Amino acid sequence: MPQTRDLEFRNAAMDVTVAVLHHTEPPRLADAMHKMMGGMPDFFDGDATVLDLGELATIPEHIDWTGILSLFRRFCLRPVAVQNVPPALLEGVRQTNLAILPEGGLRNHPAPAPEPAAAPVQQQLPLTPPPSSGQPATTMIIDRPLRTGQQVYAKYGDIVLLCGSSSGAEIIADGCVHCYGPLRGRVLAGGAGNTNARIFTTNFGPEIVSIGGIYKTFEHGVPDSIAGKPVHVRLVTNESGQKLVIEPLRLN
Amino acid sequence: MSKVVVITSGKGGVGKTTTSAAIASGLALRGHKTAVIDFDVGLRNLDLIMGCERRVVYDFVNVIQGDARLSQALIKDKQCENLYILPASQTRDKDALTEEGVEEVIDQLRQMDFEFIVCDSPAGIEHGAVMALTFADEAIITTNPEVSSVRDSDRIIGILQSKSRRAQNGEEPVVEHLLITRYSPRRVAEGEMLSYKDVQELLRIPLIGVIPESEAVLQASNQGMPAIHLKGSDVAEAYSDVVARFLEEGSREEALAKRPLRFVDYAKPGLIQRIFGGK
Ligand SMILES: Nc1ncnc2c1ncn2[C@@H]1O[C@H](COP(=O)(O)OP(=O)(O)OP(=O)(O)O)[C@@H](O)[C@H]1O
Ligand SMILES: [Mg+2]
Repeated sequence: MPQTRDLEFRNAAMDVTVAVLHHTEPPRLADAMHKMMGGMPDFFDGDATVLDLGELATIPEHIDWTGILSLFRRFCLRPVAVQNVPPALLEGVRQTNLAILPEGGLRNHPAPAPEPAAAPVQQQLPLTPPPSSGQPATTMIIDRPLRTGQQVYAKYGDIVLLCGSSSGAEIIADGCVHCYGPLRGRVLAGGAGNTNARIFTTNFGPEIVSIGGIYKTFEHGVPDSIAGKPVHVRLVTNESGQKLVIEPLRLN
Repeated sequence: MSKVVVITSGKGGVGKTTTSAAIASGLALRGHKTAVIDFDVGLRNLDLIMGCERRVVYDFVNVIQGDARLSQALIKDKQCENLYILPASQTRDKDALTEEGVEEVIDQLRQMDFEFIVCDSPAGIEHGAVMALTFADEAIITTNPEVSSVRDSDRIIGILQSKSRRAQNGEEPVVEHLLITRYSPRRVAEGEMLSYKDVQELLRIPLIGVIPESEAVLQASNQGMPAIHLKGSDVAEAYSDVVARFLEEGSREEALAKRPLRFVDYAKPGLIQRIFGGK
């Protein structure tokens, strides 16, 4: 086909992820993103993202755009535009290179439930669509090894892993985590702040365990006394605060 | 019935192409009509290792885009009667491999009665690697005995379990084999590398073999000859064992009992050995 012009412009529609910011301080957003995405920073796979500033709790005097943008990029989200920018913030946004979408912005699908801080609106969550609230807690049973980069999330319920998990996998349950086989990766029980949740495994080897948000990391490896052994993790509260207790589990 | 076998790893440079060439040749040597496809668009390594780079006229992408027929693009191997190579293209457009295009080519190879279709995957977990594994019936997960390679292999196994046709259609899962390459028993003994048992324990899929680190691989690739043809070398023997186990009916335990792993133990050379040589 003979080319008549060197360049053409065409119109196209594209799917974007809309991140509704309720706050703008990068550390606070980082914490929220981490809680939501956990050890799966590539959950979003480079999606184009529109930052929505229409629901900020307060209008900050100054926004650390460099921090925000690098934070989103770190979680494989690519901010391309902002929408619903309060007039006071327009000047700052103009410095950022982001497109400013016109009044009203994109028609976005509302988030399923109000979430803390940044709330990326995602059309499809892999693996586990959360049951609508009010539904009885169900146990999620995983019959295959959970691999690096894979994530499971049991909203409201427990997770049973029948073939263990690999380092770099992430297991999040609002209830308990039970694992028959090696438990590796990031293991977060009591996801919704349930401090009574526990973690059980026949072979202990995670990178991080957390119950109700209280966590322990094993950057330098799991201590020999519990590594590879049956283990039971729970959270105890005493006068000095909350503490994870990691103990051998008797199997007999 | 054709079997599609992907050689994949996630991590780059672990020995996928070396393995694809060796296994495809080994299958052909045992009388099976085999095709080996280079999915590494832009890099094109397989034709070099197979020593047919000067005979490449058409490639995989030409076939997909309808510029050539499959029969025109397939190159007959110079050493093995039953072996054909489908080279990758030089194009930089990685999206040239469309899912429909790849499926069409694989279907045609099936109709041409190829018993084995070996797919040499590019590194990474992106489009090319996904295309290479999409139609797999079996996968040889090629892993070096080091943590980053194990981690990437684990990730690619996850992708195999979610993106392969078999997974998407809810059919029998892709059969997984663990192949450990570039294994140095001495470095394992000195604690510089993971042992094959460690790797297997981490990945938890059946082991099909261990290929030793060997200078013969470089020699072979310089001569444009798959390593399995280097008579008497440890790599050639190890790859032949892998092919034999791969073809074995029955369980992997039985195959390994019948044909135990070789070249995995390190014996500190003693005085006698130092004087008289030997293994
Ligand atoms: N068993 C071995 N012993 C020594 N060297 C080896 C061995 N196997 C492969 N190599 C060398 O490692 C390098 C990479 O091998 P190869 O090209 O087969 O890897 P690959 O996984 O296909 O790489 P890529 O990801 O770039 O496609 C080559 O230089 C090859 O000669
Ligand atoms: Mg290669």
